[in-house]
Amino acid sequence: MQLHRSIVTLAWLLAAACGAVLPVLISPAAAAGDPAAGKQVFETACSICHSAQQGRNSIGPSLFGVVGRQSAAVAGYTYSPPFKALGVTWDEATLDKYLAGPRAMVPGTKMTYAGLKDDPKRANLIAYLATLK
Amino acid sequence: MRQRSRMELVLLACTATAWIGAAGVARSQPAQTATAPAQNAANHHELPASIQLGHEDTLRRLAILMKRKGPVGVAASKAAAEYKQHLSREVEYILPPLTLLPELAEGKITPDMAWAMAMTDRTKATREEIFEERARMTDALNGIVAAALPVHDNEAIAFAQDMAADVLVDTELEEPTVLLIGEYLHSKLDAAH
Repeated sequence: MQLHRSIVTLAWLLAAACGAVLPVLISPAAAAGDPAAGKQVFETACSICHSAQQGRNSIGPSLFGVVGRQSAAVAGYTYSPPFKALGVTWDEATLDKYLAGPRAMVPGTKMTYAGLKDDPKRANLIAYLATLK
Repeated sequence: MRQRSRMELVLLACTATAWIGAAGVARSQPAQTATAPAQNAANHHELPASIQLGHEDTLRRLAILMKRKGPVGVAASKAAAEYKQHLSREVEYILPPLTLLPELAEGKITPDMAWAMAMTDRTKATREEIFEERARMTDALNGIVAAALPVHDNEAIAFAQDMAADVLVDTELEEPTVLLIGEYLHSKLDAAH
């Protein structure tokens, strides 16, 4: 009986811990997103300026490993002054905000992109970006 | 927007840098409204020849891509429409002040350069519209790439990438240079009056 109670308690603790930690690790945007669909968004909206390959900067910096990275941190890419001063970590929340309106979040950014207003597409794109590692 | 050689970009950057150094700190001037009167045909000003050549080359390459059958041709037509819209704005008032750069870099400034101030002020006042136009242009270029990748149309992909790089040049160099020309002209010519 005592053993059974301990197991139940442990299961409760584990469930509570997972419930608290998982939302931090996987934001709603990424959790809801479909990486395969996000890859298509990337190819039609981002790929002309951004590579998904490590170390391959183009018109914009490589997006390999972007999730979890500090802003303006890609070696060999010259960022605009507003981007250098941004000081954020690219996670699902910051990417979601930036991709929805780049100029709203970073006034003066040289990225000539008006923003991805479609919430599901943005979630898919972020989910795809999270796979680039 | 146009295709530029690396040397041309370097020259543009060096000229602007030299000119900025000679100018010192220019005064800030209030921007005109976005509805400032446009230059009419009577006081039309030319573009730098290098830019004119670039425009012609871009239009030629776009015309070739527009003849493609299928999605690449459709995407190229859309990009051409966006490009021509932006080109008309560039020709009307964004680019003509750049013709003054060589003289300004030599330290020469004369009252008959005052025509450029209305254009640079208008550029300053319409920066957001210009950005949005460039963003639409970049989207259209991405459309060319998306259409060209499945059919391995490397010419179309190369064109779109060249053009996208050119949009960055416009943003990083061309527009700031035009605005600096305006600030410099105001600092010198306004003071003379």
